[in-house]
Amino acid sequence: MTFDTIAARLALCLLAATLVSGSSHAADTIRIPVLVPLTGILALEGTSQRNGAVLALDEGVPNVQIIRDVADTAAAPEIAVNALERALSEPNVVAVAASIFGTQMLAMMPIAAERRVPLVTISGTAKLTEMGNPYVFRFFPTDAVVKRAQARYVVEELKRTRVALVYQTTAYGQSGQQHLTENLKRLGATLVFEEGLAPTVKEMLPVLTKAKAANPDVLVLQLHSGPTALLIKQAAAMNLGVPIVAGSAMHQPSTAALLEPAELKGVCAESSASPISGGSPGIERFAQTYRAKFGAEPDAFALAQYDGMRMVLAAVAKGARDAESVRAFLASSSYDGLAMTYRSDGTGNMAHDAVILCYDGTSRVPAIVKRYAAGR
Amino acid sequence: MATLAAQLLLNALALGSAYALVALGFVLVINAVGAVNFAHGDLVMAGGFVSIALAQVAPDAGFFLLPLVLIAMAALGLLFSAIAYFPLRSRPPVAVFISTIATGIMLQNGANALFGAAPRAGPAIAGKGMIAIEGLLLDRQSLAIIAAAAILIGGCHLVFTRTRTGRRLRATAEDPELARLSGIPVPGMIALTFALATALAGTAGLLLSNQYFVTPDEGMALMLKAYIAVVIGGWGRLGGALLGAVIIALFEVVVATLLSQPMAEGLLYAALLGILLVRPQGLFGEALGRRA
Repeated sequence: MTFDTIAARLALCLLAATLVSGSSHAADTIRIPVLVPLTGILALEGTSQRNGAVLALDEGVPNVQIIRDVADTAAAPEIAVNALERALSEPNVVAVAASIFGTQMLAMMPIAAERRVPLVTISGTAKLTEMGNPYVFRFFPTDAVVKRAQARYVVEELKRTRVALVYQTTAYGQSGQQHLTENLKRLGATLVFEEGLAPTVKEMLPVLTKAKAANPDVLVLQLHSGPTALLIKQAAAMNLGVPIVAGSAMHQPSTAALLEPAELKGVCAESSASPISGGSPGIERFAQTYRAKFGAEPDAFALAQYDGMRMVLAAVAKGARDAESVRAFLASSSYDGLAMTYRSDGTGNMAHDAVILCYDGTSRVPAIVKRYAAGR
Repeated sequence: MATLAAQLLLNALALGSAYALVALGFVLVINAVGAVNFAHGDLVMAGGFVSIALAQVAPDAGFFLLPLVLIAMAALGLLFSAIAYFPLRSRPPVAVFISTIATGIMLQNGANALFGAAPRAGPAIAGKGMIAIEGLLLDRQSLAIIAAAAILIGGCHLVFTRTRTGRRLRATAEDPELARLSGIPVPGMIALTFALATALAGTAGLLLSNQYFVTPDEGMALMLKAYIAVVIGGWGRLGGALLGAVIIALFEVVVATLLSQPMAEGLLYAALLGILLVRPQGLFGEALGRRA
């Protein structure tokens, strides 16, 4: 055998070894980009979303290398689209943790459908799952679920029927207002006062003065985090004297941190979960790990995105190694997450439970007082 | 009814006082450099976060936090002018607009990275709680806002009218070229104006952050209020800006109570349009002949 022949055979062997090694690497390496708003108007919620996704992905799956690049989608749809295009230019993307910002999701969805990659989100925008896009999976209950729970708690548990409703004039606020109004009327309650507020409103005395003049027996809120705290603070200062049942912003530990525990007495809120309230060893472990890793208190957004990514990894653990297999698993399987059991309703809505939590006036940690399971 | 009216007026005055500090700093820079500082609202926001940081170092400072914030924010104002204004001062005003917008975004993202995106409550400079007099609930912090704003605005008035530095600042604002020919160090006066304006913005941030919280992304809304106040009062008019700020607060509190918040906001903008149509120079007339 000549030297040339030996060299040629050696080269072939090396090439074959490289190919085998390369294909093995491709099979056991997956990418799950995390594309969420870390700056801009939804930075607070987007940061929770990022943290939940990162926590889930870092827990990993045995024998699978998971590459998770995090990109800030800020507040503009085009930034989210660019981030998605860039992420999908990499190989082995099996799913994307996608923005909580509905406007960004609407821009990302056609690309996901074209490239056949599932988007796992916690965005509340109703339209996302009404467009027939099979690549969208929402792990946070829609307003149809949580606002129904909020209205039912007001009427059925608190026995209150004269409702003053204050909501934000944003898409989030108006969607909640619409669902609350429908549900409250269906349950026999009367809206004695209703007003929308821009998110920039700082002084809450005017709206509370008018609400009080309408003689309500309950105040229902659908406001963002800061305005929720401002209104509750002012209500406590003027001794409003009626219970307050707020939207999910109130469950965020960062909202409660703005208020004194005494100011929270008699305040309840809807949410999909409340990780800081505990309730199961899994949730308590999640909260501890979250605090240790991020130095912050977890909220329901973090937990929902965590559960969503763990369901994706459950698909991977069962052998899914491409986006289509992951999509099929998400669309057809049931998954017992920490917050609830998730299952698609056929349109990509995975979360169907809600909870009501209340503060007792002595701490900023609420207790879950009522659970509303799917369909009940 | 009278008690409620008094309560609403007190709240409007407190809010208007804080807005007045924002508008005063805003108009000082307009006068000094002839361009709008689009980062002015972000400097108010920065003042809120600086006061939170300082309160962690000196938790019992109370009212003494005010001078600390003034000094820290004045230093930030000098840095801001060195980054966002002086390198571009010989360029057209649009370059300064863009530069201040960019610097404002940097401030927003910096606050987001350092403090997080969640709303934060700033320190109270006059203790917490209410003082009840004849059924009127006087919030300690509201009273402190009014007092602090009155002291600072009065102090600015004295500086501008009774001191050599103040006269030099005014001369620079009225005609920089003539001021330079008169031997006034114009760049130094402009830097001093930025320091003063940023210190006032920071104080507004301190005062607003306790009552109304602070978030990294609220600068633009505050800048817009300052802009409206200046347009209402008269472009470049210090007194006009203060009046404009109080008018905005009256709309936000009193008109919102009588009608609704969306109506109050709509009427404020309608009033603004009316002023622009009927009296485009503003209620006090324009001090500057050019408008950004």
